[in-house]
Amino acid sequence: MAFYTLGLTFNLVIFLTVIVLAVWIYGIYFNFKKWGLGSTGYHDQLRNSFWLFLATWIHEAFKDGLWVFLRTVVLDVLLLRRTLARSPVRWVMHMSMFYGFLALAALSGLGLMLDIIEHFNLVGLAHEAEAVKEMLALPFDIFGYLLLIGATIAVSRRIFLKFVRDNSSAYDAFLIGAVFLITVTGFYAEWMRGNSFLVGNAFEYPIYAPHFALIHTVLAIGLFALVLPWSKYIHVIATPMTLLGNRGGE
Amino acid sequence: MADQKSSKPLMSGYLMSTQLMEVDGCNRCQECMKWCPTFAVRPDRPGITPMYKNARWRELMAKSHSLRAKIFGPKPLNDDEMKQFTEDTYSCTTCGVCGTVCEAGIKTVELWEAMRPNLVKRGDGPVGKQSFFPKLLGGDRNPYMAKQEERLCWVPKDAKVDESGELFYFAGCTAAYRQQALGVATVRILNNLNVDFAMLGKNEWCCASALVRTGQREIMAEHAVHNIDALKDGGAKNVLFACAGCLRNAAIDWPMWYEGYIPYETMPLSVFLREKIRKGEVKYKIPLNYRFTYHDPCHNGRHLMHLKGKDWAFEAPRDCIQSIPGVKFQDMVRNRALQRCCGAGGGVKAGVPDLAMDCAMARVQDATEIQAEVIASTCPFCRLNLIDGRNTAKSPIKMVDIVEMMAASMGLDTTIPENPYTKFQSQDVLVCAPTECKLDTVERKAPGKDLVGEAH
Repeated sequence: MAFYTLGLTFNLVIFLTVIVLAVWIYGIYFNFKKWGLGSTGYHDQLRNSFWLFLATWIHEAFKDGLWVFLRTVVLDVLLLRRTLARSPVRWVMHMSMFYGFLALAALSGLGLMLDIIEHFNLVGLAHEAEAVKEMLALPFDIFGYLLLIGATIAVSRRIFLKFVRDNSSAYDAFLIGAVFLITVTGFYAEWMRGNSFLVGNAFEYPIYAPHFALIHTVLAIGLFALVLPWSKYIHVIATPMTLLGNRGGE
Repeated sequence: MADQKSSKPLMSGYLMSTQLMEVDGCNRCQECMKWCPTFAVRPDRPGITPMYKNARWRELMAKSHSLRAKIFGPKPLNDDEMKQFTEDTYSCTTCGVCGTVCEAGIKTVELWEAMRPNLVKRGDGPVGKQSFFPKLLGGDRNPYMAKQEERLCWVPKDAKVDESGELFYFAGCTAAYRQQALGVATVRILNNLNVDFAMLGKNEWCCASALVRTGQREIMAEHAVHNIDALKDGGAKNVLFACAGCLRNAAIDWPMWYEGYIPYETMPLSVFLREKIRKGEVKYKIPLNYRFTYHDPCHNGRHLMHLKGKDWAFEAPRDCIQSIPGVKFQDMVRNRALQRCCGAGGGVKAGVPDLAMDCAMARVQDATEIQAEVIASTCPFCRLNLIDGRNTAKSPIKMVDIVEMMAASMGLDTTIPENPYTKFQSQDVLVCAPTECKLDTVERKAPGKDLVGEAH
């Protein structure tokens, strides 16, 4: 999705990307360091060490051997077995959001790489890179819809289920709302370009497509780098690590 | 004074780095809230549920360890917030159902038990009568202010109990001083089956479960090391437990305090007895014509299933019950790994007794809904709390231990010899004639004598 508008240049976008990644990586480091305040064993003293946290986590994750670790990766982290056991609806929601989010993030990274190849005509592949970028429209659409399904279920649960609604905090509302908004703006930006897989050119408005794409990108990056590591959304990282550290949990 | 307290750090140890990660791993799915036994009877207090406790801990930690705190400096901990958090944290029976259903796989029991010592160190915890535990255990080595020399005062004169051997029976404080019918039944059955076994007698110290559960770990190490050493010195290869709380502590907690090699296996008595039943060594004589259900103690079930397997944790006691002639058995709706806690655990019985009572009444109601006449269990503390709940609810349901059921059906003499603690006995007992057993209630003759009515 092109967003080279409002004075943004390719170089500036690359620079901002590096900044965003740096903020994100620092955020993850910050959390690991915070967790590293804890001890390395039962009834032990506090440590305050980033490296000791990593060492403790690795020790816990591999305590029962590589096979158990791999089994946990597949059954608990990738297939969300524990969620399925409790609620099939929530499982669909989490799977949709998890794989939609991951795939879109990966596709965005790939898109950026293709942009770089195209811009610098690396190994003379500018033309091919452009062609591949065009081909990405379909997977972008598919995983976008997947994320939309998940986000819609999440929002609907908070609206329609009283128990869930009553125990939702402003935090929950903001974060789920943000995911929903990012997903919707992403779709609308795509539709404005007029080449959407499902709706064709029904919403085509190419003059403002880059502007809308920019809004979507800023929101997504804001959530990724400025919110995720500093809010309850760190569970995106912490939950899989907890599952692995506890070898699938109880 | 308040300023001094608010300047004390939230964390002073105990929490592992991976546990701090677990707090952030909570994705607020709310599943724990649906199963939490205390929230079920206190729906106006969501703060007692795991999801809210995790959120609160994050907020409290953020005062000193967030990016904002790094840039602008830490904020002092607010006394009112800490008081509320302490009350919420101690209104948990550490039953572990939240961990069983947690989508993030958080080991919740360990997490709450690691948070509590930090609260104790700050001076916020424990709550209620829980603060008596260290003094009682440190002085008397049991929570009932009883004499160690009288640990075996309930053993019938004609019973054969060794001082050393490969098989030990660890009775626990409650069977020794407050529910002696359980101890007598155990000894009688083992003797009847010609099983040579030993007991530690005055060398048996409290398992100290109450200390671990309530975050008061100071005396814990002494008790764990002492009991393990005593069992090792006695030549133990296998140790039987008829108390779920003692079993959990011996199997899970003691080894964490002991540096040497532990040569023995810990085993629920129900597993040992099931083996004897399967071998045809148990001969029943009298049918128990009641409708039974089984209450899975948390300590003997959920807490143990990962260590010993679900068969040992859940099926062995059921197999024992169903082996008895005349028994009509039905499980409650919530059973096994998803069972509802009786409310006594985690020090709640001593710390927040009204909460424990309401949980017990809810569990009695579970049994009432399936028209059970008797709730069987393998935990003296569940039994005590369920009896209290039953009495408050004015329910006709009786509570017995599986071992006592078996002893009664085997036609064994389970009369408790007169001893200094006879007056404290309070339990439903099976009174047997040659062809029939009837359940009767023995009222406590000296109510309110216990400083700490509940240790686990």
